Amino acid sequence: MLAGVHIICFAASYSIVLVLEISRLVFRSGVRGAVMLAFAGAGWIAHTAFLYYRASSLLSSSQDWYLLAAWVLVLIYLYLTWFHPKQHFGVFLLPLVLGLVATARWFADPQPLAREPVSQTWGIVHAVSILLATVSVLVGFAAGIMYLSQVRRLKGKRTLLAPLRLPSLEWLERASGRAVVVSTLMMGVGLVSGILLNVINYRRHDPVLPWNDPVVLATLGMFTWLLAAAVFGGVYRPARRGRKVAYLTVASFVFLVIVLGMVLFIRTQHGRPRTAEPRATSFSILHPSSFILHPSSFILHPSSFP
Amino acid sequence: MNVRVVGCSHHGTPIELRERLAFGREETAEALDHWRRVFRNVEAVLLSTCNRVEVYAAGAAELPGGEQVAGFLARFHKLEPAELLPHLYAYDGPTAVRHLFNVAASLDSMVLGEPQILAQVKQAYQAATERDATGPLLHAAFQAATRVARRVATETAIHQHRVSVPSVAVADFARGVFERFDDKQTLVIGAGEMAEETLRYLRDEGAREITVVNRHFERGEALARTWQGRARPWEELLEALTAADLVIGTTAAGKAVVTLEDFRRVEASRRQRPLVILDLAVPRDFEAAIGGRPDVYLYSVDDLEAACRRNQAQRDKELPAARAIIEQETGRFMAELYRRASGPVIQQLKDGWQKPKEQELQRLLARLPGLDQRAQDEIRLAFDRLLGKLLHPPLESLRDESRNGIPHGLLDALSRLFRLKD
Repeated sequence: MLAGVHIICFAASYSIVLVLEISRLVFRSGVRGAVMLAFAGAGWIAHTAFLYYRASSLLSSSQDWYLLAAWVLVLIYLYLTWFHPKQHFGVFLLPLVLGLVATARWFADPQPLAREPVSQTWGIVHAVSILLATVSVLVGFAAGIMYLSQVRRLKGKRTLLAPLRLPSLEWLERASGRAVVVSTLMMGVGLVSGILLNVINYRRHDPVLPWNDPVVLATLGMFTWLLAAAVFGGVYRPARRGRKVAYLTVASFVFLVIVLGMVLFIRTQHGRPRTAEPRATSFSILHPSSFILHPSSFILHPSSFP
Repeated sequence: MNVRVVGCSHHGTPIELRERLAFGREETAEALDHWRRVFRNVEAVLLSTCNRVEVYAAGAAELPGGEQVAGFLARFHKLEPAELLPHLYAYDGPTAVRHLFNVAASLDSMVLGEPQILAQVKQAYQAATERDATGPLLHAAFQAATRVARRVATETAIHQHRVSVPSVAVADFARGVFERFDDKQTLVIGAGEMAEETLRYLRDEGAREITVVNRHFERGEALARTWQGRARPWEELLEALTAADLVIGTTAAGKAVVTLEDFRRVEASRRQRPLVILDLAVPRDFEAAIGGRPDVYLYSVDDLEAACRRNQAQRDKELPAARAIIEQETGRFMAELYRRASGPVIQQLKDGWQKPKEQELQRLLARLPGLDQRAQDEIRLAFDRLLGKLLHPPLESLRDESRNGIPHGLLDALSRLFRLKD
């Protein structure tokens, strides 16, 4: 029965949960919490089944990648709602989940990505780390927005019981800060594994991703941004505090949207079958200088999944 | 079978009389023992709080009336019953049950929605149970009261809106900034009464590090000693402000003791740590412009009182929903109570018809020896169905009548018609 699960099944469940979450701002109910968890849990099980029945080719397409990111995000939502039932996390997290699912359904390519004869291990490391970096950026963004909402409320002298109930600034600041660190680390792992993938491709005389691919450049920009923010925060303590972290997470989200948008809508060789191009003799990927001038493997999207 | 409450409360009884009528823990036990000797077979729970003294009585027999209960209370406290009687109210049946539910859910409290009353109701019930003064009726009534109070708390926001300045300051504002207080530095400026109340809430939330700065060092030291904190001289105010996470201002200085200029001097060394300032002084201790600085959350007594008023209004808005729950639960409880009153008659009626049914069945089966087991089972089933159909109309009538009260007339008629024993 579960084999027949369609994206619309779990998307509908998540939409109902979002409506229920929003209704918490309007009226109270004794049973809504349980109903919300039941719908979210049912949706997540259906989501898991959907991914499971594609396991033979899991993460082989851009669509799978978005759905897996949404799956992780729902898991985080369930965890937070279970342990902090009074807080309205869903209002901020579920739109992101639905955004990922909608992108998977209408924009992401369900066709298998380029299957290059590369190391499977590095391919998985690359895909998973980039996926976790993306989820971290999304969680950080939600925490950042919640932080800014909470600041606005506290400055406006509205009590915590005003319809939208959020965690304390201290909690949100910690969550945002951790999200920045995790996303930087994961993005770093994703970039390094991407470089290794390209090196392996080069050695095997397979096609490599050009260094000036827009996705590569945008991803590199995003990583540089995250790294600079993390280093700055580590060195200068106030940078880890308050609204700075929140703005940082929002900026990271904007970068993420730009990069994902490029993957989806701009001509890029990232994740698409490539033909072998004549290699530049002066800027070979194996030449030390190529890591500066030829960062061809800076990949955000898991293009090279085995 | 009835429930009755007799008592007095803050609604119409002066505090002087309530104080004289109040029961301590040991007095409650003593009074309940006395009650059992005086009113045999009458269940009782004695609820005594600072706002009310009430006796809940229940039983199948005649219950003591208002005058009898007044006499009981007056004798115990060595008062004149006539002094007490004008202040007492007495409710019976559904009105008594509704009153109990209202009290437990804090809808009858002086501060609507205050959370302590449910614990006090539970303690009163516990004390009565320990003295063996409760029975099936009050067990059911008080357990239902606890459930109803929880339902009101869950399905309405009546308990969630705090209405005192210190509780709003800590729970509604400081809690919005800080997740925990045990690692935060609390600075108290001045030694006003409000500071003590706020510190009590903060201590409950886990605050440990408390510093008091007062113009008169000795008074500050005394306050610090009470809260296991430390006192610092007035000259070190700005230094203490640099280290603080939460500040309570309660001086009677007559003008701001921390100006924007003062604050700017310590701002850089605070390294942008959030600062919550609860300015409970009038006139204010902190210049209002300080609240505009980033990462500073400044609340004056006016802000906090406005929040209290908003919360009180929110509580009032929740009242109709809470009352609807009480009505629903009262109806449900009374229906169950009436049904329970009819239970013995129904059981006797069923049992009374079982015997002739069995006799006739045995006689028939004895006269038809050739029947196989299947045929015997069919006949047995037919007899059971016939009995069920015969009993259905009177039982249904009894149930219908029970919805609006104990159907004494019908029960009596059934008992007489079918010669049921008591």
